[in-house]
Amino acid sequence: MRALRRAEFKVEYSLGYNPKPKIIFSLPTPLGVESMAEYSDVLLDQRIGGQEFKKRVNLRLKPQIQVIKAKKIAAETVNLMNDIAVSLYSFRLESRSADKRLLERFYTDIKGDLKTESDFSRSIFDLEITQDKAGFHIFFLKLFGYAKIFIKENNEFFKFNNFYKYFMDWLKDYKIDVKGVKKEELFVLRKNILKTPMEVV
Amino acid sequence: MKDIKRLDFALLENILEGIEKPGRYINSEIGTKSKELDLRRDSYDLVFLALVFPDIYEVGMSNLGLQILYDIVNKNRDYTAERVFAPWIDFEKKLRENNLKVFSLENRIFLNCFDLIGFTVQHELLYSNILNMLDLGGINIRSENRKERFPLVCAGGPAAVNPQPLSEFMDFMVIGDGEEVIMSILEMVKAYRDKNKNKEWFLKEISRLDGIYVPGLYRFYYYPDGRIKSIEPVKKIKKSTIKDLNKFSIVQDPVIPNIKPVHDRFAVEIMRGCGRGCRFCQAGMIYRPVRNREVKSLIRQATAGIKNTGYDEISFLSLSSSDYRDIEYLLDRITFSSKSKKLSFSLPSIRFDSLSLRLVELIQSGRKTGLTFAPEAGSQRMRDIINKNIKESEMLDCIKIAFSKGWERIKLYFMIGLPFETDGDIVQIVTLIEKIIRTARNNFHRNKLSRLKINVSINAFCPKPFTPFQWVCQDDIGKLNDKFGYILKNIPRRYVDISWTDSRKSIIECALSRGNQRVGVVVEGAWRRGARFDNWTDCFKPGIWEDEFKKAGLDIDFFTTRGFSSSEILPWDVIDIGVSKKFLLKEYDRSKKCR
Repeated sequence: MRALRRAEFKVEYSLGYNPKPKIIFSLPTPLGVESMAEYSDVLLDQRIGGQEFKKRVNLRLKPQIQVIKAKKIAAETVNLMNDIAVSLYSFRLESRSADKRLLERFYTDIKGDLKTESDFSRSIFDLEITQDKAGFHIFFLKLFGYAKIFIKENNEFFKFNNFYKYFMDWLKDYKIDVKGVKKEELFVLRKNILKTPMEVV
Repeated sequence: MKDIKRLDFALLENILEGIEKPGRYINSEIGTKSKELDLRRDSYDLVFLALVFPDIYEVGMSNLGLQILYDIVNKNRDYTAERVFAPWIDFEKKLRENNLKVFSLENRIFLNCFDLIGFTVQHELLYSNILNMLDLGGINIRSENRKERFPLVCAGGPAAVNPQPLSEFMDFMVIGDGEEVIMSILEMVKAYRDKNKNKEWFLKEISRLDGIYVPGLYRFYYYPDGRIKSIEPVKKIKKSTIKDLNKFSIVQDPVIPNIKPVHDRFAVEIMRGCGRGCRFCQAGMIYRPVRNREVKSLIRQATAGIKNTGYDEISFLSLSSSDYRDIEYLLDRITFSSKSKKLSFSLPSIRFDSLSLRLVELIQSGRKTGLTFAPEAGSQRMRDIINKNIKESEMLDCIKIAFSKGWERIKLYFMIGLPFETDGDIVQIVTLIEKIIRTARNNFHRNKLSRLKINVSINAFCPKPFTPFQWVCQDDIGKLNDKFGYILKNIPRRYVDISWTDSRKSIIECALSRGNQRVGVVVEGAWRRGARFDNWTDCFKPGIWEDEFKKAGLDIDFFTTRGFSSSEILPWDVIDIGVSKKFLLKEYDRSKKCR
């Protein structure tokens, strides 16, 4: 919000006793996680193109936080927080063991136990695992997690920190450590196809 | 600075895992100004100043004094200032486990690599944090044991006006306004370094400046009963004073914190000093004379500051903001220039007798923040004794205006344990609060009554140095608890939230603020036994402090519940704060006449 004010944008406010700025953010990123996918919708009291908007705001932000892309949306667009269906996280994993059988068991169990049978299986939309080109000790796991857990009776948000704690413990049996976590992308569902918020605008 | 050692960023990332609010320890805020180390070949020519705030980041970043000194020093090409804040308990543990020193935010320079370390001391209960930070910085806490030429260690700020409790830990102390003297100090440090002189030379030279107290150049002699017999030399240290506040612009591009600070707004000092003369108020005495900022420049600078920062709240700071002579014009012009920006105003110190309808309308033209008032006492008699010249009718009129204009919450400050206070005066505190509630209710929209909130804060009086009450005694813990107990039992609970200070904390605070050099041993002892963040309720361990006073052979009551005679030499008599003892005694005598 301050960056928008520094860039001299006029943000629309709600009416009433306690007016609030009309700005929404996508789901918060857990502490300690690098993020490549932060989205925000803001209603301005002026006409401006996406490129001009991006240029002016980025001049007022630090290099570590920059707007990558800006697009105009219709005022009736669905609330961003409610629309996000799936979050993509990547984990950089390092194996402390050279035991090939242990690693094979890890590959099998990650697609079996973790994805279909664990306590968090219903949070997992999909996952992929690839090995680093440098050597077989480093893996990249892509976890497509449901942003919300869709259950008949109840709707709850996916609690990343709880999953992370569980995952770290789960990895101990395979002598694997987590060396980095990144939020890579967010997705909305349109006709059963995953699309990024920018793709549906 | 010969050898600049820094904390490796990758290592910092590593140790931040699992730490509460890691944003406290990383930099890259908008507005940071210190010089880049890598880009200058001649970094070693710079004089490096560590501006140390001995509390956590969120508290320190709310301190305007720190922003002012940071801004002034970093504008000069020969000096660079970096900020250092106290690590919270979890991060201190990580630093010690990993054998790492506390470091500055900007370039992660370890504290012991700076040329000069300057502590800003806002509160006596931060003394233990100061020692802790020196230790965490790999620096010997006692001045006499620091044989190396660098770093030099000093302290300034309101809780350093009685310099004695910290005197054994500081090479020198800074008394008074910092804006001019900081540059003189840095020039002296540069000369000390460039000419390769010894520390004795430096301390002798720096003692010639106004506002500089070098403890090592003074000797205190005591009577057997602990009172001071004499101080040598007799020469007093005159505090440093800026005659014209307008010589220094306000900070228009402050550092904007990465995480939410205690006060999250653009702060503008409109006036320094207060002419009201409330007899209990130390700030009112030590910040004299009253100096106003010229209003047109203030408007221009404040408008630029709002534009540069993007804050939506501006706070006009002084000891009595509603007394600023152009306050209505100031608010009017700022409102006009920011009409579309939804700006709200905060005036932290408003007096009942200077709050007009017009001022209320101006404040509420933005988003309403809370209003804070300090009646201090419940009875007119007590208010006359303390020279808080406000009538009950003025208070209630003010409350009427505020609530009829749509405010929903106010905060009220009271003190107990004031000189010549009787039980009747305590009863009157409750009575006054009841009247305020009735007035608020009668002027509040019926449908919104559930939103009415009156926050009452009750604190124990401490007779502070350089006030007319500096000779009186503090109430003992039994009396304080009885008074708190009465108020808590009888104050109406509907619409009221009440907070109060722990009596034992008030006693320790008083002992430290009125302490002599010998109290330094107590501070060290308490720190060694784990005293940290003593101004935080959940961290304060009174038992440690009480034990350390006993171990040092000192009676806490000597500094608290003992009244000082007017002929007694006081520990802070070495300082000339600009207000004479004769004046203070005259005021004290006047207060007696109001009894």
